[in-house]
Amino acid sequence: MIAVLALLAGVLLGVWLDPTVPSALQPYLPIAVVAALDAVFGGVRAKLDGIFDDKQFVISFISNVLVAGIIVYLGDQLGVGGQLSTGVVVVLGVRIFGNVAAIRRHLFRA
Amino acid sequence: MTGQDRRTYAADFLTELFHNPLDPGYADAAERRRRAVPATGWRRSAPRAVTLVTLVLLGLLLAMAYRETVAAEPSRSKARAGLVAQIKQREAENAALTEQADRLRAEVLRQRDAALSGSAAANLRNLEAATGLGRVRGDGLVVRVADAPEKSDGVTGVGGTNLGRVLDRDLQDIANALWSGGAEAVSINGQRLTATSTIRAAGGAILVDFKPVIGPYEVSAIGPGQLERRFRDSAAARLLDSVSEKHGMSFEFRKVDDLTLPAATEPQLRFATPSPEPTAAPSGSSTGRGGSPSPLGGGR
Repeated sequence: MIAVLALLAGVLLGVWLDPTVPSALQPYLPIAVVAALDAVFGGVRAKLDGIFDDKQFVISFISNVLVAGIIVYLGDQLGVGGQLSTGVVVVLGVRIFGNVAAIRRHLFRA
Repeated sequence: MTGQDRRTYAADFLTELFHNPLDPGYADAAERRRRAVPATGWRRSAPRAVTLVTLVLLGLLLAMAYRETVAAEPSRSKARAGLVAQIKQREAENAALTEQADRLRAEVLRQRDAALSGSAAANLRNLEAATGLGRVRGDGLVVRVADAPEKSDGVTGVGGTNLGRVLDRDLQDIANALWSGGAEAVSINGQRLTATSTIRAAGGAILVDFKPVIGPYEVSAIGPGQLERRFRDSAAARLLDSVSEKHGMSFEFRKVDDLTLPAATEPQLRFATPSPEPTAAPSGSSTGRGGSPSPLGGGR
């Protein structure tokens, strides 16, 4: 519950402060969002599994965002940015789907 | 570490990914916690606080991404709409200027005819007709060529190279055949050819005097009565006939009475300069480039 409130607080903060993203970082924002969603769904699933761990969650969140950003940056430098971000989205998407399926089983027993 | 065998990824990484999407770290941490004594005090609450901070950060990230996406979309479509509007406006300006130029040209023509004596004016008009600077009317020939229909594979939808396409070369050949058949004026799709006209290809388009023309192409010529017979006997007509037979390009020509060919756009004077003093050089400095009147190397 507190977690959801914290999330909402972040969203409100974002709307209220309206921070501008440096234009150099803008291409990585969508990938960062997908990576963050992966960490969040992993965390939710771990919570439902009863094995949630704060340290693990924080580290997975930060490293996911950073690694996804770095991979895409590297791809941009090598000229395969589009393909690499597709790869990142596919891998993270698969993980998100798997975790959401597990969450669904927990919540609806189906 | 107990989760060691889980952490070593199997050779088939994707299968592993599908089967076990959760970070193995969670299981490891749970295992560690089960064996360790439960933490108390700040050691328990600090990680929790960090998690909450992370979640706030996540919310911030989502809000930022949302705002970026929303902000990026209209600017993109706005830029597009702006460009479209600019193109439309320039086109309208261009049309208005062309109309004005035509009007002024007619005015100049009228003034000149009024100023000159009858024979000089007639002489000038004939020269203009020959060089493509004046509108001409007369009987002649219209040659129509069009690309063969694009053949595409029924399954893949991929078309091969269309051998029945009209090339710039074909239009050049037709124009040259018409000139050599005695044509006095030639135009392609309503664009008059002069001694300095070019017909060339750029990409997939054919440019006549650097303006694109699109098929079906209509080459109109005003010339003597034998023009049709001479054109039919020309090498260009025979070649195009065989291409149309083999590859489906459409090629036809017919005599047409009372054709009107427009004037060519005003040529750029390359060597002529305005005479400095009316008395110094009363004539001869504005004739531009002389040379052979036969365009495109066609013998005329």
